[in-house]
Amino acid sequence: MAKNRALPVDAYIRDRPELAGPHSNANDLRLWRSLEEAGECTKVRRILQAENSAPANPGSFDRRAMLNFMTASLALGGLAGCAVNRQPFGAPLLSQPFRSPQHTPGVPLFFATSLELDGLGRGVLVKSHDGRPVKIEGNPQHPASLGATDVFSQAEVLSLYDPDRSKHPIAGGERRSWTDARQLIAQLRQQFLAKKGRGLRILLQPCASPTRDRLIRLVRQAFPEARWHAYSPLPDDQGRAATRAVFARPLDQVFALDRADVILTLGGDLLGSGPGHVRYAADYADRRRAADRSPPVLYTVETTPSLTGARADRRLAAAPREIEHFARQILIHLEMGAPATPDQLSVARRAAEDLARAGPHALVAAGREQPVTVQAIAHALNSRLGAIGTTVRYIEPLFAGSGEMETLTELASAIAAGDVEALLILGGNPVYDAPTDIEFAKMLGSVPLSIHVGTYRDETGLACRWHLPARHPLESWGDLRAFDGTVGLRQPATVPLIEATTPEELLGELAGEAADARELVQATWRAEWGADFDARWITSLEQGLIEGSGEVTVPVQPGDWSPPPATRSPPAEGQTVVFAPDPSVWDGRFANNAWLQELPKPLSKQVWGNAAFMAPADASALGLRGGDIAVFRHNGRSIEAPVWPLPGHAQNAVTVTLGYGRTAAGKIGNSRGFDAYRLRTSQEPWIIENVDVLSTGRRERLVTTQHHHSMEGRDIVRVVAPGAASASSSVSPPPSFYPDFVYDGNAWGMTIDLDVCLGCNACVIACQAENNVPVVGPEEVARGREMHWLRIDRYYSGHPNSPQTYFQPVPCMHCEKAPCELVCPVNATVHSSEGLNEMTYSRCVGTRTCSNNCPYKVRRFNWFDYSRLPFAATDDVFNPEVTVRWRGIMEKCTYCVQRISATRIAARIENRPIRDGELMTACQQACPTRAIVFGDINDPASLVRKQKQDPRNYALLGELNTQPRTTYLARISDGPSAQGAADAHDDAG
Amino acid sequence: MGRPPKVQQTLMTMPAEAPARDIARIPLSPDFGWRWAASLIASVAMVFVLAYAVGLAVFVGVGVWGINVPFVWGFDLTNYVWWIGLANGCSLFAAILVLRRHSLRTAINRFAEGLALFAVVCAGVFPIIHLGRPWLFYWMFPYPAEFQVWPQFRSPLTWDFWAIITHLMVTTMLWYVGLIPDLATLRDRARSVAAKRVFAVFALGWRSSIRHWAFHQRAYRLVAIAVIPLVLVIQSTIAFEFAVTLVPDWHETRLPLHFIVSGLESGLALILFAAAALRTSLRLERYIDDEDMDLIGKLLLANALVSAYVYAGEIGVALFADDFAQTAALNRMLGDYASLYWGTIALSVIVPQVLWLRNVRLNDGLSLLVGLAVTAGIWLDRLSLVVAGIQRDYLPSMWRTYSPTAPEWYLFLGSIGLIAALFLLFVRYLPVISMSETRHDEHLESRS
Repeated sequence: MAKNRALPVDAYIRDRPELAGPHSNANDLRLWRSLEEAGECTKVRRILQAENSAPANPGSFDRRAMLNFMTASLALGGLAGCAVNRQPFGAPLLSQPFRSPQHTPGVPLFFATSLELDGLGRGVLVKSHDGRPVKIEGNPQHPASLGATDVFSQAEVLSLYDPDRSKHPIAGGERRSWTDARQLIAQLRQQFLAKKGRGLRILLQPCASPTRDRLIRLVRQAFPEARWHAYSPLPDDQGRAATRAVFARPLDQVFALDRADVILTLGGDLLGSGPGHVRYAADYADRRRAADRSPPVLYTVETTPSLTGARADRRLAAAPREIEHFARQILIHLEMGAPATPDQLSVARRAAEDLARAGPHALVAAGREQPVTVQAIAHALNSRLGAIGTTVRYIEPLFAGSGEMETLTELASAIAAGDVEALLILGGNPVYDAPTDIEFAKMLGSVPLSIHVGTYRDETGLACRWHLPARHPLESWGDLRAFDGTVGLRQPATVPLIEATTPEELLGELAGEAADARELVQATWRAEWGADFDARWITSLEQGLIEGSGEVTVPVQPGDWSPPPATRSPPAEGQTVVFAPDPSVWDGRFANNAWLQELPKPLSKQVWGNAAFMAPADASALGLRGGDIAVFRHNGRSIEAPVWPLPGHAQNAVTVTLGYGRTAAGKIGNSRGFDAYRLRTSQEPWIIENVDVLSTGRRERLVTTQHHHSMEGRDIVRVVAPGAASASSSVSPPPSFYPDFVYDGNAWGMTIDLDVCLGCNACVIACQAENNVPVVGPEEVARGREMHWLRIDRYYSGHPNSPQTYFQPVPCMHCEKAPCELVCPVNATVHSSEGLNEMTYSRCVGTRTCSNNCPYKVRRFNWFDYSRLPFAATDDVFNPEVTVRWRGIMEKCTYCVQRISATRIAARIENRPIRDGELMTACQQACPTRAIVFGDINDPASLVRKQKQDPRNYALLGELNTQPRTTYLARISDGPSAQGAADAHDDAG
Repeated sequence: MGRPPKVQQTLMTMPAEAPARDIARIPLSPDFGWRWAASLIASVAMVFVLAYAVGLAVFVGVGVWGINVPFVWGFDLTNYVWWIGLANGCSLFAAILVLRRHSLRTAINRFAEGLALFAVVCAGVFPIIHLGRPWLFYWMFPYPAEFQVWPQFRSPLTWDFWAIITHLMVTTMLWYVGLIPDLATLRDRARSVAAKRVFAVFALGWRSSIRHWAFHQRAYRLVAIAVIPLVLVIQSTIAFEFAVTLVPDWHETRLPLHFIVSGLESGLALILFAAAALRTSLRLERYIDDEDMDLIGKLLLANALVSAYVYAGEIGVALFADDFAQTAALNRMLGDYASLYWGTIALSVIVPQVLWLRNVRLNDGLSLLVGLAVTAGIWLDRLSLVVAGIQRDYLPSMWRTYSPTAPEWYLFLGSIGLIAALFLLFVRYLPVISMSETRHDEHLESRS
């Protein structure tokens, strides 16, 4: 944690002008990745020869030189072992970071870059140890991150090292060289240049990248008759249709939740997933913490229980049709100013009144799966409330830069009509995730030349004639717009592990530009910045984003839009199926990521698979129990899925999550769960009504990490009224036999604010990445052997149809009177001088008594040698500062003791105490809402000390006198919202 | 010469026994019958199963068992606690016989001591192989390590370690002290010089003088006296492994008493089982006679009644316990693993009630079954405690289930095979009744 500053690769060369060769000018700084490459420059060669002649050019050996060299080899053997040298090309003896001027071996470097999800960027800092990215943190300067991350960015580092990544160009099932591949592209270019692109089709995933947009424009110029198609399995078409309806133009919206007093969400998961959710969660938490204003009120109306719904003050479970009904009622309330229903207590009425009272500080947000009418009503409501300009603003559509794109359906009909000679698929996996009615796989087979570019040879890669490996985002250059339009630059954090290309490079080749992705990005911004380029490029790389690039707010004038009259379509027969991205594997792209597969889904706590969620009442009405496999049939299409009765799910509706049932994901992701895409059509991408549900009579064992969902009336998650006196229990703990420890220096402690914890899992996966927590696989999890050091307990209270949901992250409590310490016969778990409860792996013999005596059950045992089992990560991803544990020993949360040590060392070198906030645990750093606070409780000024003096502070199981260092801040609630949801149900139903 | 008259008196007061000459015939006869051979083959096969199960645990990992978090202990600790209970019961019984100079002594003492030792051997397997890294078990020992890391003396597992060591030492002492005269005989009869020297060392210069006999009797009784508090302490220490923890259902002061009572009951049941088995298979009715069986049966019945009292007390305690403990105890009795609890009650409290009938006590077949039932019942009790006792602890989010895997059953059955094999070899190759005692009895016989 020594250098927390983003460090662009180019800065190395800037700082050593002597490395710039004679052919280098200020605008042409060449980044060298290996000595061989650098050796092309004569000055560099001279310096290298002077410094280190033998390895650069060994020549012939005499006996003495041979012996010298052997000695040196032995001495350097360890170093070479650390270096990345597995590439088939130009394997450098010393990878670049070793030779970097600002690099001290053993001290990690941070690279600011952007990661893509749904085509939008999230700014991150990649921590790189000796050339190996090992951890991803949020970029504090990036608007989509503010220093926090979601689970997917944390897991990208594992995907980088995925052994199942595509490694070679493949044509017709045979491995081909890159020379062949480049020849293919060159031929393609020649062939279609002549025809102006007629017959050439390019399929992309929507991606808000200025460089890609520029290249697309260039290719469009070169091939004016080529046709472009965009397909995303999680489309936002309805959202743009809604803005077009209300504002007469497509727009994207950005919320400011820190200004919102009353929030109404209609479907979706504003705080838990989707574009900008990390930022929204942070803003919402800030708003909740604001001392000078009363807490915000969050209404959620949704079909599928979401994290937003779990946090909501008033939640209403409603089937998709009821949501529209609800939205219309709100609109009527606001327009008429009089109750539209006799039910005075209805949630709709109360929500409408609250929204009206909040006026400009109200906010209505609709999920992207909601029909156009609902989304349009949300815009209309915001407009009517005057919220536009305070809590919501509109920006130009983020994906507009690439020009008009045709749909996948149009591509399919073109293929059917024989209009497609060559199809270039730049990313995405349409064979897997295209709607079934398109039958894209079959169509693809009839295209004469199909080329797929992707990091995996997935279902689409297998179906195409050619497959070209793509670089992982952590190996590539690029730029990406965030949810609010801010452009973040993407730079490689490692040398390429695989010789591969990027969609941008391919587009560049087609356009006839130099095919180096970095130069392509630079060209975009050189055109933009002109003379300022040199200064701004370095600054932007350092910061990870381009300042002032956020999309400007578009002033909007709502037209005379009013919702179309409610259609009185016949009542739905059977169930309504709602599709949702999976919280672990999203649209399927993360299916081969073992960290995400083993990440318990926030609400169901299911791992390694998906399930069809339905209301417990529906399940029992259909005679289905959890794990029963049901068949869902609609219009001749059907899927089989295990049923999961999920408390709080709307009745008469079923939610199936996408992304599972992969067949060519890799050894982690293949054949897990069921493929919900098989039920999806291009006409109804999100919601299908009239689905028949029948039991097959078969059962499947669903793997979950939590089997009991009630707190059993125990004081586990405490809830206080706003401004309540105290959450701590009045029972004084019993006296202790042993004297208290005395701490002269630091005494570490943690608080977890349950009022802002959303249960999003970012902390869990951040802990896994930081602490080399092994993946154990579904069988082991089914046996109760998951290894996460930090788990999030999820409890329900109230009626299963409208429960109150509570989350509680449980790391090691680092008890002052630790029960584990005194039962270990070999003294393997002991108290540190700073109050940590430390685990000495090498001393542990594995009696497991400590786990028996831990009332929090946070200890994890290595039942097998998990670092060698099939689900184990490759060694490269391991954090070198944390021991990889072996079989037969106990492990648990250490409060990231390696980070404490690193910070302590840095502070001692500067001869100063450790500053509050300087030191963050991995879970704390990843948390979007900053619910986790860590610091020195001996320091009277520290935040954690202040939090512990908060009346909401309480110790979990404090009556046992374990005196935990990790304490919780009680959740604030003005009443059981289950009540509100229950009486509202009649209203919507 | 110390106090020969007293010794003489001691020997004289021993009640006359039936002629014991036949006993020697049993180990000396060349053929032992096909049943013995078949039993031995079966039990040795089970020992191989045990070796396989131990190999799995050592070379693959304890993950082959069904244990997890929170059930970090499964059959491993269950078996250990059970075997220690059996060993303690047998030891106590043997020691009481020595001290009481009871008529049972000649008949049952040696095999009771033998069973106690073999049960300790079986028990000793588990604390070692249950470790995640069994090859480092010696770290429990306070040896002067370079980093001066000492065991945690507050840990009940450290206490347990010392309890096992002490138990092993005292049991071995009891056996060894009793063996000294026989070792001298072996020394005198040894054919090779080497064997003679080895036996000479272990015979400690025994010359069968009256003075030696006097010291021997004193030492023997002294060790026997030591056994009595020892078994109580050991059972309590085993109970501390549970009672000292924070686990709601384990953190109970009644637990040591529970362990003493049920452990001794299982030991008596094993004695009853073995005595009945010896009587039927080796036709030793004359040496383990009806009165002996009657007495063991009564002892077991009495112990079962004390057990009933302890179990009743447990229910009472559970009903008045705090919320955590009450939930946990009621779950053990009524939850997922209720069958274990009620199996225990049925087998170790209800079934022994048939011993009220003298006919049952004298019926070898029924005694055998009762002995087996009680032993099995106590095993269920141990499993119920180790598994069901921890199922409902503090945080409901970690409430889970445990089910054993095949390797755990191998381990359990294998350890039964081990004690069976050791016992079968013991009855074949060593006199079931001590040679010195036999000779003594023969003297008495010839004199009378």
